[in-house]
Amino acid sequence: MAGNTTEATADGADKRAALLRKTEHLAKGIADLKALAVAFERWHEDMIFMTGQSRSLNRMGEDLSRVARQMIMVSLNAAIEAAHAGHIARGFVVVAAEVKNQAQHVQALSGDMCKTLNTGELTTTATFQDIQAGGKMMMAAISGLELMVKQLRTELG
Amino acid sequence: MLNAHSMHNIEAAFHKAIRAHWVQDPADTCEITPLICEVIRDQDEHKMLLITISSFVFRLIVIFGVTEDSATRAYYLHLDAAQPLDEVLGEVANMCGGALNRTLAANFSHLAMSTPCTLSGQCMPFLDKLRAQSVSRYAITINGSVRIQAALCMCCLEPIEVADEPETEQGEPCAGELELF
Repeated sequence: MAGNTTEATADGADKRAALLRKTEHLAKGIADLKALAVAFERWHEDMIFMTGQSRSLNRMGEDLSRVARQMIMVSLNAAIEAAHAGHIARGFVVVAAEVKNQAQHVQALSGDMCKTLNTGELTTTATFQDIQAGGKMMMAAISGLELMVKQLRTELG
Repeated sequence: MLNAHSMHNIEAAFHKAIRAHWVQDPADTCEITPLICEVIRDQDEHKMLLITISSFVFRLIVIFGVTEDSATRAYYLHLDAAQPLDEVLGEVANMCGGALNRTLAANFSHLAMSTPCTLSGQCMPFLDKLRAQSVSRYAITINGSVRIQAALCMCCLEPIEVADEPETEQGEPCAGELELF
């Protein structure tokens, strides 16, 4: 009878020790997962950099559009002056018209570029925010697991 | 993916959050009207504040279009004129998004909210590129002079259900007042 009790106690102690080992293993896994916070921070910094780059490109596109507008005005003035000059400036009328065509082309291209950049900025930011919120969800779930491990440790002594 | 009743509950929670946080004084008037399409204002002054509330099965993108004009400046900087306006507006948007997040948290066990980001107002016409199942746009007018645009873009991966907000003893739907981010 006493022998059975001793065996049962030893068996219980073994199970408890095994549970403790598993708990510690789990705790280590959770501690490793918590390092994800560093990756989230890195993504955040990268996102800020990318958004800054996109804004710079957008400003360049707007500048390009302004330059194209000026070129159109200059080419119109040139065409008027050439018309005043008469037959002698006939060739210059052709050049002014071509400059205007090219400037209009640049203006249209820079407009399309700005639209693409704005779309990219919006979708990239929304995706980043989804990742950021997802990271918070994961960190909350990990904290929940951490709490469970703490409770297990307390129960196991 | 998102039934009309659930969308109605989300919109109701959003309107309540707007009235609680964008309106500075309870005595101020606040009109929220649906917008068919966004109004394009002066591009340099117009900014867009973006916040995302995510769960495993959906993401809700909350957008505010703000104009840094004299009416907005006077209304939001009346207490501290030294504080940058974009910071103040970012804080208000954050509080408003947080209130909506808390309401939704009653329906979803895993939910989190991003920090707000400020984008150029030129991004506003491209909300359809977010591939949302539902886009609701609103015009908010406070005291007849402060004009803000708002939009809710819901992207669902699975059908979701948002229950009616439980009422308090006074008959008002309940929502926490504490904001911690």
